[in-house]
Amino acid sequence: MSDAKYFGGGSKKGEISELQEELHHQREDKRKEAVKKVIAAMTVGKDVSMLFTDVLNCIQTNNLELKKLVYLYVINHAKLQPEKAILAVNTFQKDASDLNPLVRALAIRTMGCIRVDRVTEYLCEPLRNCLKDKDPYVRKTAALCVAKLYDLSAELVETQGFLELLIQLLSDSNPTVVANAVAALTEIEDISGRTILQLTASNLNKLLAALNECTEWGQVFILNSLSKFSTADSKDAESICERVAPRLNHANSAVVLAAVKVIMSYMDHIENPEAQKGLCKKMGPPLVTLLTTKEPEIQYVALRNINLIVQKKPSILAHEMRVFFIKYNDPIYVKMEKLEIMIMLAAERNIEQVLNEFKEAASEVDVEFVRKAVRAIGRCAIKIDKAADRCVAVLLELIQMKVSYVVQESIIVIKDIFRKYPNQYESIIATLCQNLDTLDEPEAKASMIWIVGEYAERIENADALLDSFLDNFHDESSQVQLQLVTAVVKLFLKRPKDTQDMVQKVLNMATQETDNPDLRDRGYIYWRLLSTDPEAAKNVVLGEKPLISESTIQIDEAMLSLLCREISSLASVYHKLPDTFVTKLKEVRKDKVKKDRETDGESLLPQEQQGGGQPNIFDLDSVGESLPQTSAPAARAPVNVMDELDFLSSPSTGVSQPVSKEIVLPAERGNGMQVAAGAARRGGQLHLDLTIQNQAGAPLGDFAIQFNKNPFGFAPTQLQVPPVNPMSTVETSLAISNHPNMFGPAQQAANIIQIALKNNSGVFYFQVTIPFHLIFSEAGEVSRDDYLSQWRSMPDEHVREVQVAGDSNSVQGKLRGANLFYVAKRTVAPQEFVYFSAKVGEALMMVEVSFGGGPSRINTKSRSAELIPAFEQALYTLLR
Amino acid sequence: MNLTKYLAIHILREDLCYLAIVAKECSPLLVIEFLQRLHEVFGTYFGQSVTEASVRENFVIVYQLLDEMMDNGFPFTTEPNSLSEIIPPPNVFRAVVGGITGQSNMKADMNTGSMSMHPWRKAGVRHTTNEIYIDIIESIDSTVETNGMAAHTEVSGEVAVQCKLSGIPDLSLFFSNPHILDDVSFHPCVRYNRYEQSKVVSFIPPDGNFKLMNYRVKGQLQLPIYVKPQITFSTNGGRVNVMVGSKTTGGKVVEDIIITIPFPKFVTTATLSANYGTVQYDDITRIAKWTLSKIPKDKSPILEGNLSTTAAATMDSNPVVQAEFKIMQYASSGLKVDTLTLHNESYKPYKGVRFITKAGKLHFRS
Repeated sequence: MSDAKYFGGGSKKGEISELQEELHHQREDKRKEAVKKVIAAMTVGKDVSMLFTDVLNCIQTNNLELKKLVYLYVINHAKLQPEKAILAVNTFQKDASDLNPLVRALAIRTMGCIRVDRVTEYLCEPLRNCLKDKDPYVRKTAALCVAKLYDLSAELVETQGFLELLIQLLSDSNPTVVANAVAALTEIEDISGRTILQLTASNLNKLLAALNECTEWGQVFILNSLSKFSTADSKDAESICERVAPRLNHANSAVVLAAVKVIMSYMDHIENPEAQKGLCKKMGPPLVTLLTTKEPEIQYVALRNINLIVQKKPSILAHEMRVFFIKYNDPIYVKMEKLEIMIMLAAERNIEQVLNEFKEAASEVDVEFVRKAVRAIGRCAIKIDKAADRCVAVLLELIQMKVSYVVQESIIVIKDIFRKYPNQYESIIATLCQNLDTLDEPEAKASMIWIVGEYAERIENADALLDSFLDNFHDESSQVQLQLVTAVVKLFLKRPKDTQDMVQKVLNMATQETDNPDLRDRGYIYWRLLSTDPEAAKNVVLGEKPLISESTIQIDEAMLSLLCREISSLASVYHKLPDTFVTKLKEVRKDKVKKDRETDGESLLPQEQQGGGQPNIFDLDSVGESLPQTSAPAARAPVNVMDELDFLSSPSTGVSQPVSKEIVLPAERGNGMQVAAGAARRGGQLHLDLTIQNQAGAPLGDFAIQFNKNPFGFAPTQLQVPPVNPMSTVETSLAISNHPNMFGPAQQAANIIQIALKNNSGVFYFQVTIPFHLIFSEAGEVSRDDYLSQWRSMPDEHVREVQVAGDSNSVQGKLRGANLFYVAKRTVAPQEFVYFSAKVGEALMMVEVSFGGGPSRINTKSRSAELIPAFEQALYTLLR
Repeated sequence: MNLTKYLAIHILREDLCYLAIVAKECSPLLVIEFLQRLHEVFGTYFGQSVTEASVRENFVIVYQLLDEMMDNGFPFTTEPNSLSEIIPPPNVFRAVVGGITGQSNMKADMNTGSMSMHPWRKAGVRHTTNEIYIDIIESIDSTVETNGMAAHTEVSGEVAVQCKLSGIPDLSLFFSNPHILDDVSFHPCVRYNRYEQSKVVSFIPPDGNFKLMNYRVKGQLQLPIYVKPQITFSTNGGRVNVMVGSKTTGGKVVEDIIITIPFPKFVTTATLSANYGTVQYDDITRIAKWTLSKIPKDKSPILEGNLSTTAAATMDSNPVVQAEFKIMQYASSGLKVDTLTLHNESYKPYKGVRFITKAGKLHFRS
């Protein structure tokens, strides 16, 4: 019997009253037909809200199908007509204690979906019963309902003790109930931003036990939850990985990838290298399976994740190159990703195969893809020295095919190859020059012109070649123009006799006849250089250029580590941290701040900026007014003021000093809350120890903390403070991590963090100074080789003069106390260069300090360039 | 940077787009797998192909299924066996009876299956004849170079089961040579630990049709057929010559061979003929299809012909020739089933196992 007929009703005038009549028909089957018609009308967007009471009338039935249809209608309309939804409450409550568990579950489920505050009030009692229902189907439904309720009214869930009931469900005998409880708790954690589910041994065992038995979706929830925990204990990590590993063989790809995520996040804590190796070996084949047997959408997600995994642990798929070979009918998005991974996996031993595949790829029809394939060949040439010859040969073959975009792309990559291997492949220049007049893309043209200029002395007709471009100089894109100016100047410096006119002409055009400021600037610089000191011009223009290198590692290490924790999630597909592409649901949400709810500002803090990654908690423009300076310590506070400079001047400073606190928020400004704070390093992590004293009349609670963006990227972890009764004091310690999204320019000194602390009476602002010697991680030591290779890969961009107290030895001791680690020393008399490493969070900072032969200098390098200014500031203080 | 409020994840199946909206960080694979499952469930409910018409036709069931399969964004009941207990699929018989007596489609009693320890199996299954059929279908993916060497070859297998067994049967499938399997992925019903220890696939099956496991086989394998395409272009047209023949198939016949040649855009007409089988050429898509029921013993099949091209022809165009075929009772991987045993029930079921090898993505470069 087809349901399509219900759509055909048309919108005749009497339709509604006809339906109304049918909804009250004596016979149940007629009523059911009528409700179906109403829902059909609703589906196509007709307004059937006036039938609410009539449809609701049908809810009193033992026919489950009819009941479901009525519930469906009610969910859709309750929001529009909350007054009428109340009418359904009685029935919901009755159904929630029906004999049939399906009906009980249906009622509780539907009530949770009706987002009307007044209905919510009536939900509590039935929900409590259903959470303890004897039927697991009802319990698993009720567990999810708690999450729905939390979204409507967090306060209700907390005050009614539903969280505790949910936690009790973790011990349920039915694994699917456990899984749904985990799913609900995770959702609540997401909404509230706090940790509810703690990794205790018993919780862990419950989750792992349920993992084997629950549904596939439940497995995903449990695995995701497991991946959020961490343990430093190698044995624990190993046993968790072992018990999760069988999930790698699940038919559901979501389960497989979630298991990979758990193993990747615990694997680093496993000390036994054999166990680590074993796990890597186990992860390889399932990842390959995702690529060979699954739908293209799944392949794509898998490939994006494999991209991260290969960067983090190349060994897992090092020998699976063939899987990434491109298939003729792969969708283009899959082909592109495969190409990327092939470049990463390319090595000397497999380069023949890989090049062959790239060559095939370059003869496909999709232009974008072909270009990427050609570019891939160039990247392999630069990455693998020994393969460069072969790569160049393949590129030449491709150029011979005379397909315009292939030729142009080849020339672009050959330019890069010349920059990596200067003076090795001039023999091919002749072939390239033959294609000069077919080039019509700016980048290809510019590349070719660069090659001609760079090798002008070996190209007999270089002047004629370049001259041919000059006639249309003004029609060229600025990229080509800039390259032309440089190339002609190079040519002139190499062959001054016969090119004087040409250089004159091109500089004239660049300086007089253009309004492009970049071009004009470059023209003038060359002009002045040439006219004042041709020798100097030679040194500048023809000077030796640094070699380029291909880093297949595209994501810097700190970011990679963060992304690896997000494996299987959307972040792993975008290769961006979640905060940068989805609004985090209700960061720190509070039911009392209902006003903000209607708009986007679900945070309690004023003027949340949508622009940045992490919400920027302050209005930066008005920061001067809104943030009062740290006030002087109050006399009666049990704190000492620490003299930071004195403290630093003793080189033997350890890190286990007793923490001295300073009052950062006096009670007058804190509405009765006094806060004292002091920083310390413990267990390899920076902590902010807080003493909160309640001098107000009422208990203080609901504490939450946020930091403003700051130069070291300090981020607070979860603040756990119990309610503070009047005239009592609570001590707490807040672990501080470093998070790339928290980077921001310095407001004052780099080591000052502006903090917002919220409690039930308001939001209060203060700032805390973290002594520079506490900023760097204990894990800042790196091997000499790693250090050197990274050091060499970066230019000397941050060289500053500094005042240094003491000689290189005493400085070493002093910096060691601040977790800056000595790496190596180099003496070039009379100067001495000492190298140090340090870590801010995961980010490696490197510095060279020079002694002797004039004022001391520091030369700072880091892949996390945004940290350098703050790091330099730290060094000024620490070296003094 | 732009913060979006919602993200959309979609899959396209049989001209229907299944779209999911997400408002926060989630596991995209979970969403994709769920949408895929939705499509499969619709398939089992509305007959094999899901179309706009069939969704319209069954909108009440669609609503009921959506309602049951998902709760507030969480996948709920997705096992076809459990679903069919709560929401019986439409069929002609029920439609007739329902129309006369006004009986509901909905079962009013609680399904015990969905919350049992094996949620994939209905409770109280009764069959008059107990039988179980296992199809082991292997497909070969390979890309073959112009020189006849395979750039890569992969064999992936699927074990599809049609199970009509009463009660709660506990089955064990033994392979003679499980060591050849490189990777396996199992239906939730399979006890993985048992497999890990003794390589036995032990399970309590769902009732009806389901996919028991997928596997991949390691090592290089011989392709059962060869295709030698020679397609050359010169200034005044092109020549086509494609030869097909069989290689090692353990004495089994290669059937239903289809060779597909997609010609490049600059080909205007093609005159093709074959000494065996039938050739069809579509002028619009420029695709030639050569169909052979089998490979004859007495001669080697050859497709030949001429192409005319436009001026824009490039000499170095290499169409990729695709091949399809099927070999019954043959496993290209060499996988062998030893026995299938039944515990927990006293009846003697009828058991059938058959192998099929077919071409997956089989491409020959010319």
